[in-house]
Amino acid sequence: MDLIENYKKVWDNQSEDSNKASSIEIYKIAQLRSTSIVKWIFIIGILEFVILNSLPFFFDMKEAYNEYRRLGLESFDFYYQIIYYFISFYFLLQFYLNYKRISTTDSTKVLLKKIIKTRKTVKNYVLFNLSYFAFIMIIVIIATIQINPDDLTNKKILLIIVNIVIITLLFLGFLWLFYQLLYGILLKKLNRNYKELKSLETL
Amino acid sequence: MQKELENNFLSDFEKNQNIAHKICRLYTTNQSDHNNLFQEITIQLWKNYPKFRGDSKFSTWMYRVALNTAISLYRKSTKTVKTQNISDYDYKIKAIDYDNTQEIQLKALYKAIHQLNDIDKALIFLYLEDKPYKEISETLGISSINARVRMNRAKEKIKKILNP
Repeated sequence: MDLIENYKKVWDNQSEDSNKASSIEIYKIAQLRSTSIVKWIFIIGILEFVILNSLPFFFDMKEAYNEYRRLGLESFDFYYQIIYYFISFYFLLQFYLNYKRISTTDSTKVLLKKIIKTRKTVKNYVLFNLSYFAFIMIIVIIATIQINPDDLTNKKILLIIVNIVIITLLFLGFLWLFYQLLYGILLKKLNRNYKELKSLETL
Repeated sequence: MQKELENNFLSDFEKNQNIAHKICRLYTTNQSDHNNLFQEITIQLWKNYPKFRGDSKFSTWMYRVALNTAISLYRKSTKTVKTQNISDYDYKIKAIDYDNTQEIQLKALYKAIHQLNDIDKALIFLYLEDKPYKEISETLGISSINARVRMNRAKEKIKKILNP
């Protein structure tokens, strides 16, 4: 007889697990909170929205607004903020809908795909925030240079640009590390399994 | 209504809970991880139970939810000390057993399956549980042909591990 067939018999004959749960135990366990990856992605995603949206409260925005006024960017700032919140809300909605669509009753592949999509929404949201940040920076630099061209020597302009680039790189580096750690730990297994299933398509 | 749902769930689950235990034993290597995975599977089953319409057998539905939980949702606790793996399960083998070849072989089988990746584990498990290819491919979301090809490879791997 085939080796596997032989082992299959052994498998079929295995006794019930020794720590069978009783109805009461099952009932109690069923009421517990899930600690699944999906839950964590949801919590982390929400935290990212909250943190990014509360950043203005941590900084002294009064000074920034005065600066905007001085640079003549008041109305620009107003419209830009509206667009920003509109897009943020869109991301939040997408994130929530993606999360809601995740169901363990799907096939494994579909389930993995949906989880990855949910995480991607948050990733795109952060990318959007970074682009927004960079765009504002560029506008402010241009406005500064235009408003007082006499005050600024080429050396000063270069210094400002270098400073901004360093700050941006530090910020990006920190974010990258954060992402590597967070999602790296969380999704290592998930990504591996998804790749495995994807590779089955091209057998 | 809720009470009836609960009762149905408990009776369905209790009858089939060995499916969950087998999956836990395949995807974890110590008792504490086993319990955690079992807990998550139970939560997922209960959470999705209202959507279970009875179009298929409860057990078929349970295989899917439980495997999905093991493959996609569950993350081993990082605190686990690796050195105490596998041996944790030794207690499950009765000390005095006049014919323990069966238990030794079963243990060897579990040990061999532990060495496979998560997807191959699922394939071998569903094969051992006598599931038809149609069900296997639907559960994993791959085509029936691919399931077959992959299954043969997984079986070869298992054979090599069991009989090097």
